[in-house]
Amino acid sequence: MGGRVSTVRVQERVREHVARGAPVRIVGRGGWLDGGRPVDDFEPLSLADDRAIVEYVAGDLTLTARAGTTLSDIAAATGAEGQWLALDPFGSRNGTLGATIATGSAGPLAHAFGTPRDTVLGLEVVTGGGEIVRAGGRVVKNVAGFDLTRLFTGAWGTLAVITEATVRLRARPERDETVALLVPADGALGDWLARLRILPFTPLALEMVNSPLSATLGLEPAALLLARLGGNDDAVRAQRQLLGALGDMRDVPASVWSTLATAEPNGASVARVSAPPSRLHAIWPVLSRIDAGSLAHATVGRGVVRSICAPSDDGNGQRWLAAIGTCEGTHIFERLPARAWRTIPCRVDDPISRAVRTAFDPARILNRGILGEVA
Amino acid sequence: MSEPVAVPACAIPGTPLANATAGIMACVHCGFCLQACPTYLALGDENDSPRGRIFLMRSLAEGDLALDDPSVHTHIDRCLGCRACETACPSGVPYGALLEATRATLAQVVKPPLRARLILALFARRGLMRAVVAAARALRATGIPRLLARLPGDLGFAFAMLASSASPLSRARYRSRGTGARGSVSLLRGCVMEGLFAAANRATERTLVANDYTMVPAPNQHCCGALHAHAGDLEGARTLARRNIAAFEAAGAELVVTNAAGCGALLKEYGHLLADDDAWSARAAAFSARARDVSELLAAAGPRVGAPISYRVTYDAPCHLQHAQRVHAEPLVVLDAIPGLERVALVDSDQCCGSAGIYNLLEPALSAAVLAPKIAHIEVTGATLVVTGNPGCLMQIGAALCRAGVPARTVHPVELLDASYAAAARSGR
Amino acid sequence: MALHTETPSRASGPQPEQAQDRRGALIQTEALASLLAAIVGERGVLARPSELSAYSSDGLPGYRLRPRLAVFPHTTQQLVDVVRLLARKQCPFVARGAGTGLSAGALARGDAVVVGLNRLNRIISIDPLNRLAVVEPGAVNVTLSRAAGAYGLHYAPDPSSQTACTIGGNVAENSGGPHCLKYGVTLNHVVALKVILPSGEITTLGNADGEAEGYDLLGAFVGSEGCFGIALEVTVRLTPNPQGVRTLLADFTSIDAGARATSAIIAAGILPAALEMMDGPTIRAVEASIYAAGYPADASAVLLIELDGMDEGLDADVQRVEAHCLAAGARTVRIAANEEERTRLWQGRKKAFGAMGRIAPDLVVQDAVIPRTRLPDVLREIAAIAELRQIQVCNVFHAGDGNLHPNIGYDSRNPDESRRVGLAMRDIMQACIDAGGTITGEHGVGLDKLEYMPKIFSPESLAAQCALRDAFDPERRANPGKVVPVHSCREWVGA
Repeated sequence: MGGRVSTVRVQERVREHVARGAPVRIVGRGGWLDGGRPVDDFEPLSLADDRAIVEYVAGDLTLTARAGTTLSDIAAATGAEGQWLALDPFGSRNGTLGATIATGSAGPLAHAFGTPRDTVLGLEVVTGGGEIVRAGGRVVKNVAGFDLTRLFTGAWGTLAVITEATVRLRARPERDETVALLVPADGALGDWLARLRILPFTPLALEMVNSPLSATLGLEPAALLLARLGGNDDAVRAQRQLLGALGDMRDVPASVWSTLATAEPNGASVARVSAPPSRLHAIWPVLSRIDAGSLAHATVGRGVVRSICAPSDDGNGQRWLAAIGTCEGTHIFERLPARAWRTIPCRVDDPISRAVRTAFDPARILNRGILGEVA
Repeated sequence: MSEPVAVPACAIPGTPLANATAGIMACVHCGFCLQACPTYLALGDENDSPRGRIFLMRSLAEGDLALDDPSVHTHIDRCLGCRACETACPSGVPYGALLEATRATLAQVVKPPLRARLILALFARRGLMRAVVAAARALRATGIPRLLARLPGDLGFAFAMLASSASPLSRARYRSRGTGARGSVSLLRGCVMEGLFAAANRATERTLVANDYTMVPAPNQHCCGALHAHAGDLEGARTLARRNIAAFEAAGAELVVTNAAGCGALLKEYGHLLADDDAWSARAAAFSARARDVSELLAAAGPRVGAPISYRVTYDAPCHLQHAQRVHAEPLVVLDAIPGLERVALVDSDQCCGSAGIYNLLEPALSAAVLAPKIAHIEVTGATLVVTGNPGCLMQIGAALCRAGVPARTVHPVELLDASYAAAARSGR
Repeated sequence: MALHTETPSRASGPQPEQAQDRRGALIQTEALASLLAAIVGERGVLARPSELSAYSSDGLPGYRLRPRLAVFPHTTQQLVDVVRLLARKQCPFVARGAGTGLSAGALARGDAVVVGLNRLNRIISIDPLNRLAVVEPGAVNVTLSRAAGAYGLHYAPDPSSQTACTIGGNVAENSGGPHCLKYGVTLNHVVALKVILPSGEITTLGNADGEAEGYDLLGAFVGSEGCFGIALEVTVRLTPNPQGVRTLLADFTSIDAGARATSAIIAAGILPAALEMMDGPTIRAVEASIYAAGYPADASAVLLIELDGMDEGLDADVQRVEAHCLAAGARTVRIAANEEERTRLWQGRKKAFGAMGRIAPDLVVQDAVIPRTRLPDVLREIAAIAELRQIQVCNVFHAGDGNLHPNIGYDSRNPDESRRVGLAMRDIMQACIDAGGTITGEHGVGLDKLEYMPKIFSPESLAAQCALRDAFDPERRANPGKVVPVHSCREWVGA
């Protein structure tokens, strides 16, 4: 099923909830429900069945799919044409396109291809007011009208329910290989990262993982830099040569990336600290060694460190939060124990954000509380 | 809320501007000219940009603005006429011609300022002009202008200009020889060049001879008329043009050469200037076809390489060479023939220095604003000689360097080549 | 308007139409001019009709609207004071950079004041380590790239007007350019904005830390065509200069073959830095200009293709592109031998729009984007429309993005020709929309494409756009009357 019928069905559901004043929780396949703040007393609005690729013309490198389509559905369809949707958010490949866009989630490939904001071309949504709205379009370049696409992307479903999306695809590179390099000691890290940043090519991904995470990935237990190299034969050969000059390099199976995407244990707390890339060498030592077992990885080119705190009862959560607090930069929490959220400031309480919320979800029924906003 | 632009019949028939409307219509107001325009960069108002001025011209032609509208005069007067916009214009708007037509049309209603008229009258009178520059030369020889160059205001600047017209190089004494096989050439001596830059004129003659041209004197020549044309006195310019055409025809040389970019630009436009004069149009076109900047002739000849002279130099392109004549590479080819020069590139060397004929006398404040970044860029190069091929630029930049205490002087490229040849002669090469 | 009367700012404020009528009476123009002059000085305000006519057009011929006044702040503080004064006087305003836009977007109707930002043109800082620059809104695009060049960096979005257009204008329009095929448009390069809202409040959108949280208000602001406020400071990402660049020129004896080559290259998964197409009439206009680039004058189309990146691997891609061109029927494929030749090939492309000025006194240009597989069909359709309406279309466009720029030269003094051009423009736009395209890829809606907005957006979708605008500018004083047709905004009922 899918298409207009299911959009109208979502619209009817939303309108009915507006009439009752009853909040809904938008649900894809339910894999990431512990992401974001706890949403109280909701009824689920599931889009999992609205799962179909609406249009895919390979020669255009664009794809339109219903919100409940999974990333693996898309990977299967595009892979047959030598293309891919270059978004690899953390979590299972069974996550939906709608959820990926709504949460603005991205993974290591963001190093080369950016986040959903750079990839989504158009959306169909049902607003919290119960209107069906189309934003953007199906072409790769579009400045017609005010940019609702960007507004709804990463809004965590608080403005509208995404029902359909058009995304930009990329051609799969001829070669796609992953290598690992040993990360040098703290004192040498700054210079080493600076040399990485001025490499004359952009790897598909450039992710630093700390030693416990390496072990989880089945690699040698040391801080490693995972570099995903893409291009034609000549290009990848040259990339290997340049990278090899930066340290002891070995090949790593490509499966390391899907293992990384699902590496965090259930119930873990997850936060990202982002800062200008030139400061990564100062943040990394703090976040990569909070605890003997704490996991951390960093997208080198973007200056984003993702820190994972395994659940336990020994108060490590407090230490972890305190360590993050010492790092200068933007702190974004993906998952936390319910009580810990109360200490995290809300990012949508500025006048414009409030006005936007009021305009698109006047009854405050969509994912209420997920961004910490006061109802 | 918006109306399509309809073009009514010309509101000012019979004026020079009326005849230029095709040029106005070529402008699609893309705005690519803005950053090329020194007055726009200095003032930040589109009315002081080529696109804005063309709007004003169009408004005059369409009758939306009266010929005596004061803001029209303000913004048209402020134009340097450097024609850098023509180099930037993809539509091929003949801006220089539009400007002259506009100024000529406006001059019918409001006379140019007295200062401008006096200067133009002086340039049109050969004997008087010679007397004035002789006096200026005598004053320069006393060394007083250099002492007074630091006086504040326009007067100090005027003394600095006069002081800076003296050649920074010691006088070259050598006998120039060549085969003469490249053809015969007559030099337009130029009012200011012969008066204050005689050394450059002699250098021009010697270097051309050394590069196998034959010099033929052209007596009875006059001021070229460029200042008159730029100021809108097209009739005055035409009178001078006819005299010059006759004088150079009588001399009989194959080519006419000048070392003043401003003069050269107009010589090449005599054909356009006299296009409507049945008796003269063919002769004027033929004359323009024979006109060359000295750097073009030298570059065509090779030119012969001299002996090393060591200076740190930077080249600034005169607008009337770069933009009006589109002569870009040739002056650099001339410098290439001088071993030992340390060449430093000048940022924005294609931007106007603010001299613009007599502009610096009429709009001193704006001229200074345009000049300031030029001097700053020169200072960065660390050059001791700034090379440029136009008397106005030589004095404008020279004066500012002198007043700013920058240890650099201005010099004509041909003088440098001449010095190199002189060094070669001394060493017996 | 049920939605907005609930918010305090709307409840007390006048409705737009009333406001428009009342605003004129709120303050006399001369009084406003002297209040503005008190902020920016006498030379920072233009009030004479003669001097305002220079600000009655932007880069798009065919529109003229004379503003009420024009004001030119010299410092950020002056700009803040000006916006706050205009807020107090409830006066509408239009921000303007270099006026090179092609949608009549920077034009101000008679009750609005033009706020010229061209004097705020400083590059505030360049951080080569993090590849960031902070600039004032009036900084000229190419000036930033020149300054960044000292560090081996450049600012990637390169609209054809880059020698004149401002970064602030680029932000307003979400400008593209030839190299956006590979590097993305302005949106992808702006990381933070310090803006002043029409109310006079100052706020920061986005941040330079790599990622931001909350609603993507930065993404919403970029491309808002001056309707959401004015940028005071723009933080942009800089891009390393590529190690190697190869520029190819392929020429074809039919437009169709050029379009097929384009589709083939994109479909093959090659991502050139730029892939531009020019048709025969454009080639001849360029070759007649001072930017003559050496395009074969008898060709029906040329593709200008640039590949960049690390030297290794580049030539293999060049060979593939060459093979696709030849397979599609290219007569020759030549590779620029040096930087000088490359510059010349690009100059011809970038100055093509202006060069059309040679063909006819008036010019209209469109900016539709179509799916790239539809290029051959749509170009054939455009040719048929031109034939039907007896007009001359010059096509020069970003083929790799499917972003068409059909230019039609004409003489507005000829009413019949003007009428036929108008009809052809609508036909062409309809053909692009029918092909699954959009009405503007980089020029913006402005005034010029207002009429087409209802063709691609439902009333609800247009109303939702208005609601977004109202979150930034509830009084709708910033660039009024642009982007979304006014009547659409009245239809938004929300809940």
